[in-house]
Amino acid sequence: MNQAERISAAGRQFLDRRQFLSQAANGLGAIALTSLLASEDLLGNPRPVINPSRPFEPRLPHFPPRARNVVVIFCAGAVSQLETWDYKPKLIEWDDQPLPGGPAVTFQGPAGNLARPQYSFRQQGETGKWVSDLIPHLAGLTDDIAFIHSLTSNSNTHGPAENFLSTGFVLDGFPSLGAWTTYALGSENQNLPAYVAIPDPRGVPQNGSNNWGPGFLPAAFQGTPLSARDPVRHLSPPGVSPETDQAARTLLQRMNARHLEQHPGDGKLAGRIASYELAARMQLSVPQVTNLESEPEHILKMYGADDTQNPHKAAFARNCILARRLVEQGVRFVQLFNGAYASAGKLNWDGHSELKEQYDVHAEILDQPAAALIRDLKQRGLLEDTLVVWCTEFGRMPFFQKGAKGRDHNPDGFTCWLTGAGIKPGVSHGETDELGQKAVSHVHPLYDFNATILHLLGLDHEQLTFLHNGFERRLTNVEGHVIHDVLG
Amino acid sequence: MAPLKHFHRTRRSWLPLAGCLLGLLLAAPLPAAPVDFVREIQPLLEKHCYACHAEKKQKSGLRLDIKSQAFKGGELYEASILPGDARNSPLVQFVADPNADLKMPPDGPGLSDREISLLSRWVNEGASWPEGVDRATLADPLDHWSFKPPVQPAPPQTDNVLWPRHEIDRFILARLEQAGLRPGPEADRITWLRRVTLDLTGLPPAPEEVHHFLQDSRENACEHVVDRLLASPRYGERWAQHWLDVVRYADTHGFEVNTERPHAWPYRDYVIRAFNSDTPYHQFIREQIVGDALQQDAATGFLVTASVLLPGQIGKDEPSKRLARQDALDEIVVNIGQTFMGLSLGCARCHDHKFDPVTQADYYSLQAFVAGVEYADREWLTPEILALRQKSSQLSRRLAQIDTELLRFEPLARAGTERPMINARQNTDRFAPLTATKLRFTIEATNQLEPCLDELEVFNTDGNNIALASAGTLVTASGSNVSLNRHELRFLNDGEYGNARSWMSNQVGQGWVELQFSASQEIERVNWGRDRQGKFKDRLATAYRIEIAAEDGVWHTVADQTDRVPFGATPTAPAPPNRNAEETRQLANLLREKRKLETSLAQTPAPQLLFAGKFREPDTIHVLTRGDPELPKGQVVPAVPRLFGELQLPSDTPEQHRRRVLADWIASPQHPLTARVFVNRIWQGHFGTGLVDTASDFGHGGQPPSHPELLDWLTLEFLRAGWSMKHLHKIITLSATYRQAAAPPLSPTQASPAVDPQLIDADARLLWRYPSRRLDAETIRDSMLFISGELQFEMYGPGYDLFDKRGGLTGFQPVEQFPESGLRRMIYAHKVRRERDAVFGAFDCPDGGQGVDRRRESTTPIQALNLFNSRFTLDRAAAFAKRIRNTNPPPDTRTAIQAAYQLALSRRPTPDELDQATPVVDTHGLATLCRVLFNCNEFLFMP
Repeated sequence: MNQAERISAAGRQFLDRRQFLSQAANGLGAIALTSLLASEDLLGNPRPVINPSRPFEPRLPHFPPRARNVVVIFCAGAVSQLETWDYKPKLIEWDDQPLPGGPAVTFQGPAGNLARPQYSFRQQGETGKWVSDLIPHLAGLTDDIAFIHSLTSNSNTHGPAENFLSTGFVLDGFPSLGAWTTYALGSENQNLPAYVAIPDPRGVPQNGSNNWGPGFLPAAFQGTPLSARDPVRHLSPPGVSPETDQAARTLLQRMNARHLEQHPGDGKLAGRIASYELAARMQLSVPQVTNLESEPEHILKMYGADDTQNPHKAAFARNCILARRLVEQGVRFVQLFNGAYASAGKLNWDGHSELKEQYDVHAEILDQPAAALIRDLKQRGLLEDTLVVWCTEFGRMPFFQKGAKGRDHNPDGFTCWLTGAGIKPGVSHGETDELGQKAVSHVHPLYDFNATILHLLGLDHEQLTFLHNGFERRLTNVEGHVIHDVLG
Repeated sequence: MAPLKHFHRTRRSWLPLAGCLLGLLLAAPLPAAPVDFVREIQPLLEKHCYACHAEKKQKSGLRLDIKSQAFKGGELYEASILPGDARNSPLVQFVADPNADLKMPPDGPGLSDREISLLSRWVNEGASWPEGVDRATLADPLDHWSFKPPVQPAPPQTDNVLWPRHEIDRFILARLEQAGLRPGPEADRITWLRRVTLDLTGLPPAPEEVHHFLQDSRENACEHVVDRLLASPRYGERWAQHWLDVVRYADTHGFEVNTERPHAWPYRDYVIRAFNSDTPYHQFIREQIVGDALQQDAATGFLVTASVLLPGQIGKDEPSKRLARQDALDEIVVNIGQTFMGLSLGCARCHDHKFDPVTQADYYSLQAFVAGVEYADREWLTPEILALRQKSSQLSRRLAQIDTELLRFEPLARAGTERPMINARQNTDRFAPLTATKLRFTIEATNQLEPCLDELEVFNTDGNNIALASAGTLVTASGSNVSLNRHELRFLNDGEYGNARSWMSNQVGQGWVELQFSASQEIERVNWGRDRQGKFKDRLATAYRIEIAAEDGVWHTVADQTDRVPFGATPTAPAPPNRNAEETRQLANLLREKRKLETSLAQTPAPQLLFAGKFREPDTIHVLTRGDPELPKGQVVPAVPRLFGELQLPSDTPEQHRRRVLADWIASPQHPLTARVFVNRIWQGHFGTGLVDTASDFGHGGQPPSHPELLDWLTLEFLRAGWSMKHLHKIITLSATYRQAAAPPLSPTQASPAVDPQLIDADARLLWRYPSRRLDAETIRDSMLFISGELQFEMYGPGYDLFDKRGGLTGFQPVEQFPESGLRRMIYAHKVRRERDAVFGAFDCPDGGQGVDRRRESTTPIQALNLFNSRFTLDRAAAFAKRIRNTNPPPDTRTAIQAAYQLALSRRPTPDELDQATPVVDTHGLATLCRVLFNCNEFLFMP
């Protein structure tokens, strides 16, 4: 990152090749292809420009970052704060009583009586944080975690709410947090995708590719879906021998080199040539990083990847190991999904009717592998500059739905947390009311959560913009305040 | 813009507390010397407030360095300063109350007690703010180039008089000369042909077209080419895609469930047809807004192209429903604003526009024009369908006549003829015409339980059912078992059949109902049944009596079951009816005709549905505080933004008329934005960048035009030519500007002795060369199929599949090997919102979420992997090679290579290239060369 470009204050210049070309004009045609590809070949120009032929080169943030990489553990379907991190003893007392003045109808229909937390809670670690027995492995990490218990969402519907969590807008079509990050910072590794989305082994989350989409940012900045089981598409040509493939590659290089000579100074042409070289390197490096053969037995065991009784858990554990390997390789942004699509809570955390029954299953899959990922990052020293984010799109109601044993959607107060680089460990910030229904102290819309993540990456959420249809668009729309209380 | 919800937290009630505190603070007697604004207040505001509320920032829309703005206040409260009333002036409250949620300034020590009392005194003394002391002036937001009508410019004089071919070129050249630049050399003929063909049709020229053009020595050979291309149906398929990007067309509903929107495609086809037929642009606009009134039903698909939450996805609580409706309306307004007028209106949903003179009231007034639009299917009323409809309604009328005529043959009740057994579906009792004001139907026995009647019909001698409640008939009963919305007495004569709309007695085996007609009538027939839908057979009246009474009130029995075959008896052959030969013949004829009519009616095609908006009574629209549907302010009527004049409609204006007025206003030649915005989109299509490079924002937030006079000239030329799109294409593609070579001159000195264009205008905004760019996804895919000889030219209709399913939750598996239908042009792919095509999506295909005014052009290794390694490319390469090999006689290697170059690149290979390719083809096959050609830069870039 020795000569990296500084990211633009109003980073609209992606398409403005003027600077690049005027620099390159003096002899790009003469530059040998190899030097074009070398990581050192940067323009050394202070003007903020993203080099269109090398969109993933590392770029400096706005101010010194606390975190260089991000791993997001995204629990799809809306995890109940009341069964996990937000301890509400009052609910035990009020169990099966109607909520005085509570809503008659919520998202899915009539409201029933208040319901006690479905798991017992106990105090954990030096902070004595009350955590549910649902997630014993993660509960052991509370001393390292900064909880935010008072988040709110702008939607009570999974799709728009996942949009809101991932893109800052409830509407479709806006860039994801990972895309903004990659756009801002590029990547430390040019041989792997800069931004990887790892879908849950049971399927993709409710809102699918919107969670890792580029929106209106250049497609270069979208997340590449990739898991321990499903590799990157089109890594190699089916049915073509290596010799034939190599012959094609060589012929293509020659044709393009000749064409470039006839069009000297055209950065786009050079960029495309470079992209084929990058692709060739990716063909080698992607299988290497997804191949977990080299992981020792004790690591597989630690993550639960050896669990033959629970194939979903083992597969999720393999995804967690993959996440660590990607971070080790300098991949900037890794999104690890836990939970698939809408399924009446069968495949994700959407516990409307049989909450306890379903959470027993989901927690088993999440808990040990995710906790192992954090411990493993820590023991390798990676947590010092990796931020781990645990999030879900909204929370759940303190009462059951009428005639059911589950909780309805609740966007008015729920919990997400951060651990790793730059956070204040062991802090619990913000509160919901005594029944856990609404955030009442230090209320933070998810804008603030996203602003905080960008802040840890050294990015000012108000400065990181992209001009689209007349708007200087931001991840946080026109909102967002960094939550300083959770920063170390 | 996304709805803002969290501001609830800033809406806490600080007033009572602030009130008490201020009461204490402000009760002190006022000192004599009045506060001086310039000396005492202005510095105070500057010190504490200007960081956020002056020229650079106006948080919450509040600006305190200009008198008019300071008094007007911000978004949260109206006037911020109430002269003479410090206690109720928000400005004072915010700085005085340390516990207020909106304590100001938010950080730092805040105002001292002395400053607060000074400010309060100043307000209480009347808030005197002298004129002319402001250090800033408010820019007039109306003073903006695009809000003024275009002015006819004279094409400028240029030093070089030989180069320009057209007025366009004189504008371009004058600007180049001003910058010390010269235009580039003209591209060779093949390059121009390839460029214009890709540009206008999205496909490369066929080798015969290249050959023919090279042979064509006529002076206007180029013009012939352009005319040919514009007349080709391929033109509309190419340029419709540009439009569909802007309006974010897709074939699914978006959001999490992303269900298929199966009837969206007629809009896509409409756009293709509109381009192909050169529909005048003003008409194109009108049709898309109010096509239901212009015989262009499919066109209004424009209104509902956005993602939308389906009813099942919206919360059951009322606030969720209101929010969803607002989101849906917002998408329509935003789409209209940016597509037609290049105005970004979305931010005015929550607050007055920060840059453009569009207020929140303007925004909601625009919503009121479209407040009756629902995201739903409606029937497609094409002329053909209307004709069919008319025909079938004639058939239905005749069928009804026959039914009446057949009644003559129905045996009369109480006439000594045995009548058919009672059945659960429907029974008829016919009698000689009698005058009646009342009719009673009494049930004396049932097969089971309490009797149930789904409908009781009484026909007069004209064949009309006079029992209907809608005819004014009143109904009473012995007693009813009520099950809401299922069994109610009102369902007895509501005209709807079936158990779910029926009456049930509250007594087992008996009960009666009585009808009181609105007037005395001659009646002759009663129809009744348990369930005409045929599902229920219980609760059937097996013994009954029908009585009528005239005005004298005396009841007469007209029919009962006694002359029917007893209920439950074993069916025997019906007794031969007492008819003569003539009657038998007539009956047979009628029955034959009836069967024929029923067959014809059954064959009438089901109505084609269109996802093009459903129109209903408009919602009442209010200005919403910060965009929150739970905080409505004043009601608005349909009105255009004040910036454009005074056009407004009364609140009772019918739905369609609202849209018509809106369309006429937008499509007017006097509208300063409409034609300009479109002309710029056309220019952008040809050169990659518009004269205004923010194609959907011509407001203050957008970029000024690179050639303002040329934009005006083209706009007026466009209007002069009757808003013809094809006219614009023609003059642009034939211009000297467009004919320039893309490659920069080999050395700076050749361009100009003094100036290196690369240094001052590297991306050629001034057009000293033709700005090349990567082909877009659709052009690459379509061209590969065209070159391999596999492209299917079938137009229109439902899209083909890119995935294993057409909508729904995530987890789409891409189609790897396409059937023939999948080898159509990509515009006919079924567009699943948010799921980009597995191979070409990476080439910056929009995802249908937000409108895209211009394709980004990114270059990524994923693109390279997709295009080099995918099954799609390998299959096309194989077909391409086969196409060449299959010629007769089979070509040798060098001939095959030449043919491949000719097809893919419109030229012959150089001897060098031939030498390089030969061993590859000999060793690895012709398909390997074809795969390489599909990946080479010469193929992938606009020449």
